[in-house]
Amino acid sequence: MTRLVDVPGHFDDRSFDQFAGAFRQAMDDTQAAGGGRLLFDAHAAEWASPYGLVGLLAAGQAGRLPDGEKPLLTAPTNPEVLSYWARAGFFRAAADLFEIHGKVPRTKPAEDSAVLLPVTPVRAAEDVHDVVSHIQQRATAILTTELGIDPKATMGFAMALSEACQNIVEHAGTGGWVAVQSYDWRRRLARRVVVIAVADAGVGFRQSLEPTQAKRFGDRWGDAAALEAALIQGVSRFRDPGRGQGLKGIRNYVTRWEGKIAIRSGTARIAIVPPWDDDPPLQDGLPSFPGSQVLLIIPEQKARHA
Amino acid sequence: MQSIDVSAVLRQAVRGYYADLVTRATGRAVREEIERAMVAEEPVVCTRMDFSGVRIIDFSCADEIVAKLVRGGGGGGGGGRVRVLVLRGVSAGHLQALEQVLEGHGLAVAVEHDDGTLDAIGPRETGARLLEELVALELAWRTPAGALALRTA
Repeated sequence: MTRLVDVPGHFDDRSFDQFAGAFRQAMDDTQAAGGGRLLFDAHAAEWASPYGLVGLLAAGQAGRLPDGEKPLLTAPTNPEVLSYWARAGFFRAAADLFEIHGKVPRTKPAEDSAVLLPVTPVRAAEDVHDVVSHIQQRATAILTTELGIDPKATMGFAMALSEACQNIVEHAGTGGWVAVQSYDWRRRLARRVVVIAVADAGVGFRQSLEPTQAKRFGDRWGDAAALEAALIQGVSRFRDPGRGQGLKGIRNYVTRWEGKIAIRSGTARIAIVPPWDDDPPLQDGLPSFPGSQVLLIIPEQKARHA
Repeated sequence: MQSIDVSAVLRQAVRGYYADLVTRATGRAVREEIERAMVAEEPVVCTRMDFSGVRIIDFSCADEIVAKLVRGGGGGGGGGRVRVLVLRGVSAGHLQALEQVLEGHGLAVAVEHDDGTLDAIGPRETGARLLEELVALELAWRTPAGALALRTA
């Protein structure tokens, strides 16, 4: 039996929990029935953020059957949406994970000035090198001219991207994906933003930190405590005292540029919330979703925008 | 004084051409290469590392290379051999990662500017002690303008 997972029409970090809930329900039903295939239905999709796209790939990875059979995916029917997903590099990555239904354009990814980095797999250190190399060439001009960020600080952006991707290599226990885009965020902020989205369907923060941190937290231990330990306290699963620098560096960078970092893992989500956003700093009890999903948003600077 | 061209070590340590010091694996490979070079040479008090060919250094690499060489925690045989580390060719971007990592460990290194003068990065007091040590070891001298500079002879 095939079980349906609806992809939200407007698929971003805000609608992700709705998607995660549908995914969890379908996975539980499949398990209870002793098998079956998932069908991710994106035919009515109107828009997807980089976070939505890499999150969908993570779901595709997690939704694969034990016998290796891929889940199904119905592609968006709106030609503009379809073209955008192709330019963003989604279908190139999705081909390995889904049996795709619908007509997929053969557009090459990244033929779009807003796509700073198309959806790109991250499996090993070499992939992080390639991502950083690519972004240095593409992002500097956009960060300085469109977002009004000091040219000296563009290196910080590449560092933040590198560290976000390394979380997959160092902790996920599986591969993941990263995408970087710039766009006009009229509805939420009325400013341009650059967004980094990183997702994997690996072990997640709780499992990664459990051997070294669970005892310290006692009854409080769970996904939310693990995220708090990693992002706020700079804790790592390694006993090496230099570990945990990456997330701290990202946090410093987004704070300096009034940006946002949000990490979802398991049933929890933590965020460093800038004044322009109303996200709760910590949420627990969300629908369980495998791995970790990281969102970084760097907005156009106010002085420039005024 | 031993001199290390970090960009050249990066090319030697990692397959493929990369101008960026990113990822912990790369940092570890570069540090181990540096430690091997140190073991092969006579022990020295001061090591100068040139970052001019390096485009980016991220937090993981700053920790894996600079902090571990100073802290001596590399475990690669050469750890702890660096008593004083002087960095040159360091950009404002490099400093973001280096400062955070060194502050976190309570460590300091010296930075040689393009005009030859020296500063320290890391916690203020540790940095001041490091510069005093450089003078005491006669590795640095005070210029007529009052700045510190490395003795190159």
